[in-house]
Amino acid sequence: MTIRTVSGFAVATDLAYDLERHMWVSIRESGVARIGMDSLGLETSGTLAQLSFRPEGEVTRGEPFGSLEAEKFVGPLVSPLSGRVLAVNESAMADPGLVERDPYGEGWFIEITPTRLAEELSLLTNEAETIVEQFGQKIRQYRIEGVLAE
Amino acid sequence: MSIGALRVIDFGTVSPLRSQTLWHAVAHGVSAGAPPTLSLMQPDAPYVSIGFHRRLDEIDQKHCCRVGLPVYRRMVGGGPVYLDDGQLFFQITLPLGMVPAVRARAVRFALDPALEAFRAVGIDASIEEAGDVVIGDRKICGHGAGQIEQAVVVVGNLITRFDHAAAARTVNMPDRETRGEFEALMRRYLLPTPADPDAFTAAATRAYGASLGLSPRIGRLSAYEEEKLAEIDDEFVEDEWLRGTPRGPATVWQVKVKAGVFLLRAADEATQAQVSVADGRIIRARLSDPELNGATAAAHDGLVGLTLRQGRVALSRLGPAGERLGSLLHEIDRVVRP
Repeated sequence: MTIRTVSGFAVATDLAYDLERHMWVSIRESGVARIGMDSLGLETSGTLAQLSFRPEGEVTRGEPFGSLEAEKFVGPLVSPLSGRVLAVNESAMADPGLVERDPYGEGWFIEITPTRLAEELSLLTNEAETIVEQFGQKIRQYRIEGVLAE
Repeated sequence: MSIGALRVIDFGTVSPLRSQTLWHAVAHGVSAGAPPTLSLMQPDAPYVSIGFHRRLDEIDQKHCCRVGLPVYRRMVGGGPVYLDDGQLFFQITLPLGMVPAVRARAVRFALDPALEAFRAVGIDASIEEAGDVVIGDRKICGHGAGQIEQAVVVVGNLITRFDHAAAARTVNMPDRETRGEFEALMRRYLLPTPADPDAFTAAATRAYGASLGLSPRIGRLSAYEEEKLAEIDDEFVEDEWLRGTPRGPATVWQVKVKAGVFLLRAADEATQAQVSVADGRIIRARLSDPELNGATAAAHDGLVGLTLRQGRVALSRLGPAGERLGSLLHEIDRVVRP
């Protein structure tokens, strides 16, 4: 995995991203898609207190596959891809700090068998330089909006 | 209702179930286009509510069943709470787009007018950095927040009186001594604030209207919200909903009194460590290990005032038993969340 630091935030440049929702996607050799949250999403969420994931069934791009609680605020985790849930990361549910310590590795959320991969992958950001550029734009936007400290 | 209105619905005194389901129905309504809404109600009987993600076994269900306390799972955050008619609940429900994207800011944004309302009725409330509404270091308002479809709801309460003993009894505890300590910590850190609920309602209405730039208007549930209410009434009493998301066993038992104040316990066979922590420091410790021998009391006293990390180092000087106990403190430190 190639990790670069953009304005203080780590980003893995060999993944695909839904940068609006701060979700990353890793397509494994088996064709399974692993989904997690990027470092910027974690920063703007606050300290993670709880996580839960739908244990089985179908997920649809743009629809929740689980939920996150931070600052006593429960919000949806929105899927960047459609597919069938194969596995959820029980370790992250038991210890949400794992996601903060290793967001692109052990802190993944769920694995799915994608059902519309080609179509939906094209909607994600997945070119290394584009990822870095758009990730940086998002950070600048958040700083202008006061979402992130300068 | 015209654009620019803050719908205000005072539901008055309602059943425990309705004191939860009404505002969930409002959230669905606001998500579907109803105006931003301030809602208020008081339950007519005591009950227990548990946060969306929390384990049901945090609650002493046998006790609740024995004394007739219903238990309901809510769709906002936080832990198990004891609720009764000494509390006025308020909820501000806003379309997602009206709320700051950063969660902590969203909660603060939605609670700031409540602070004004507290102050208007003579309660000098402030918000701690950790997010609790307090007077000094004593919490005076339980709050939680959540996104329900395309609406954000932030809930809180005016606690005019609080039965600390009854509340302590509803939470699962490893033993009677721990329950006593929990109750003592609640008495120390949870402060009821007697005030006139009607005056608070009027002040909250003014404050939320002014803060949001909206004109308060008395409102009622829409037909859609009535329909959702009936659905949620049914859903909230289903066992599946109450059980929540299946989770594996917790490695650390923890009960939060307020932000930064916890009872924590970890065990590995015969080695057990239980600590009470306030503001990052151990205020009380109970340790047991077959090889600790006569060093137990000294170990307990030696941990007071230390952080969990410092406690681990201190225990490591006590030999293998201390190492085992230190490992448990390390696990507690790793797992405990705000």
